[in-house]
Amino acid sequence: MEALLTRSRQLRRPASRLCRSCSRQLGAQARRTYASAASQPDIYDVVCVGGGPAGLSLLTALRSNPATAGLRVALIEAQDLAKTHDWKLPPDRFSNRCSSLTPSSANFLDRIGAWGHLARERVQPYHEMQVWDGLTDARIEFDWETASTGRTIAYMTENLNLTSGLLRRMDGIGGTDVFDKVKVENITLGEDKEELDLTQWPVVHLSGGKQLAARLLVGADGANSPVRAFAEIESRGWDYERHGVVATLEMEDEGWGGHDMKIAYQRFLPTGPVAMLPMPGRYATMVWSTTPRNAALLKSLPAEDFLAMVNAAFRLRTVDLEFMHTMQSGQAEELLWRLQHTHVNHQSVPQTVVGVQEGSVASFPLKLRHADTYIGERVALVGDAAHTTHPLAGQGLNAGQGDVESLARAIEYSVLHGQDLGTRMSLEPYNAERYAVNHVMLGVVDKLHKLYSVGSGPLVPLRSFGLNAVNAMRPLKNFFMEQAAGKGAKIF
Amino acid sequence: MVARPSTAVLLRRLRGLTPALRRRPESLPPAPPANNTHQSSSDPNFTTVSPDEVSHFNALASSWWDPHGPSRILHLMNPLRHDFIRMCRNSVLDAPATTGLTYLDIGCGGGIFAESAARLPGTKFVTAIDPSPEVLNIARGHARRDPSLRNKLQYLNTPIERLTATLGQQQQQQQEQPQYDVVSVFEVLEHVSNPAQFLDQCAPFVKPGGWLVMSTIARTWLSWFTTNLMAEDVLRIVPRGTHDWQKYVNEAELRGHFMAGRSGQWAEPRCMGVIYIPGVGWREVRGSEKVGNYFFAVRKTEG
Repeated sequence: MEALLTRSRQLRRPASRLCRSCSRQLGAQARRTYASAASQPDIYDVVCVGGGPAGLSLLTALRSNPATAGLRVALIEAQDLAKTHDWKLPPDRFSNRCSSLTPSSANFLDRIGAWGHLARERVQPYHEMQVWDGLTDARIEFDWETASTGRTIAYMTENLNLTSGLLRRMDGIGGTDVFDKVKVENITLGEDKEELDLTQWPVVHLSGGKQLAARLLVGADGANSPVRAFAEIESRGWDYERHGVVATLEMEDEGWGGHDMKIAYQRFLPTGPVAMLPMPGRYATMVWSTTPRNAALLKSLPAEDFLAMVNAAFRLRTVDLEFMHTMQSGQAEELLWRLQHTHVNHQSVPQTVVGVQEGSVASFPLKLRHADTYIGERVALVGDAAHTTHPLAGQGLNAGQGDVESLARAIEYSVLHGQDLGTRMSLEPYNAERYAVNHVMLGVVDKLHKLYSVGSGPLVPLRSFGLNAVNAMRPLKNFFMEQAAGKGAKIF
Repeated sequence: MVARPSTAVLLRRLRGLTPALRRRPESLPPAPPANNTHQSSSDPNFTTVSPDEVSHFNALASSWWDPHGPSRILHLMNPLRHDFIRMCRNSVLDAPATTGLTYLDIGCGGGIFAESAARLPGTKFVTAIDPSPEVLNIARGHARRDPSLRNKLQYLNTPIERLTATLGQQQQQQQEQPQYDVVSVFEVLEHVSNPAQFLDQCAPFVKPGGWLVMSTIARTWLSWFTTNLMAEDVLRIVPRGTHDWQKYVNEAELRGHFMAGRSGQWAEPRCMGVIYIPGVGWREVRGSEKVGNYFFAVRKTEG
């Protein structure tokens, strides 16, 4: 995923803005410099840079569909995929990078034969969501009307469990040429010689000298996508000045609903939402979006005080919590004292956190980014390479799965109709299908973040009124749940 | 960017066409009897190709493969051609072969259909011909960009009347009548001077049990309005002068040509009407073959 691109790319691609004679000169120069050293590129139909969930799902989808199984495909990944393939943790330890997979993502993974390869005992479905406003306590409870039908809102999954399962499925089908532990040193355009004109084909140069020419080059290479840079596609957005603090936590018990009725919690604090998401047994994973300063403090605290902060985040008034963020130590005692003066309905907040898995507290900066387009001539972007979102709605990974499903469909259509699957024309349906959908998702998530960052003023009672009103209206609530579950009308 | 035509120009075009519309008989002039074709093809210079049509498409050559250029709606139509051929081939009782298929694409232009047919996994070889050398140069240059087309696609600059001879020269031996599983004549009938004679020239190239597939536009007021006035003059999504409404062919005329005029040689006529909706694309619309663009196919009887 962390494929690197050296600066020499700029030399190789004559910029279209230059006048024709200049660019011809540049091209000639570049040929002289590189052509002698270059070996013949290996020709592929699809070359995917990045072996994360999006890239692996795409290749698995292509390989598992009879219509596209005849394509020659390759995967390029900087990390050692054998480690991901054999990933294993004891049952009482969970990776801190987890995602909430919607049933629609899970169904897609099932259709491509990957779902069964996940360690299922480590996947935790949840059936209810509790979301409330930290300032006013206005609350919305998302549960399916008849909980007994066991309808799942989403599945909490460790990202490594997902990538590992996908890899096992991909290896099981075979047919994908995997180049891992390599760097992308350069991406250039091909050459025109003898019978072939590859001047519009991207050629990926790997460390070690291997070259891959791609009918379609897929950038599943993350937020700093080298493929996106090669295609000269701008990605716009902003940083939230917030960090997401993650941790794997141990709760006092299996949750208020017990083993079969797991609940996800999210409280909107003025600094950002804090979410507690159930994992199997007594475990849970937390994502706390907060200021970089608060994040740094949380990471520095000893376990006891860190746990106190997490428990406080779901229970105390926001002013109390703010004060605790200013303390350098002693949060555990402070919480005990403050809880005596705070009324908490214990059943409506997550159970008390009693332990934190060593080494699981980490943080990452939150950003919003959206590429101007997902396609270029012989280039397609999927997942984080195309868009990065705030984690508050748990939609990032699902949006990537939606991209992959759509792109795989566009490729299948091209193959069945003899179209060149790499051309912009063939990729247009993918861009048309996903761009607007993701744009709405990014926008809504962004507005939610901004709405709840407001600490005072007329917006606060208004948003609480909105939340309470939605809570009282079953059809509207079902609509939101359908959206969160990736069912119903495709809006997000 | 060419300026939009003024109202006066539009009116002039309208006036120019209207008498022709009135004069136009309800059906094509009767096709010449089949034995006539022998005489005409024995004349080495005979061709059904119109020279002014060749020069029109020569001028379009460079933009043929620009996905946002004047040929865009032709590109968008291409997948439906394959859907139609698949539908035809699957519509007969005996299961059609799924591998080793050969195609002859007559009037291939820049190669939109020919390339796509060659790319299909079941295709063994595609021969594509066009009378316009400029357009064929574009087609050849474009095919070099795709390694998967090597050894699966050849372009020949020849009218159909001289194809057998051209193939014979190429292989330096007298050629028997070459025959193909699918002979396609897409968006060509409305550009040739004598469609009936032209189709008779194409017919021998179809294998017994194979399909002759064509597409054209019905000659109606509506098609004049959509393909000439709207598409070429008002919306400008099709290059001006591409269509000559008077050369359009109605579905009933094609059906009559094959099923009555050449009875016994052809069976299983199939038809699919398609409509282009701006912003949506081409859609199959039942019954629309009576008013606009449509595909038509017949299967050559066995033996």
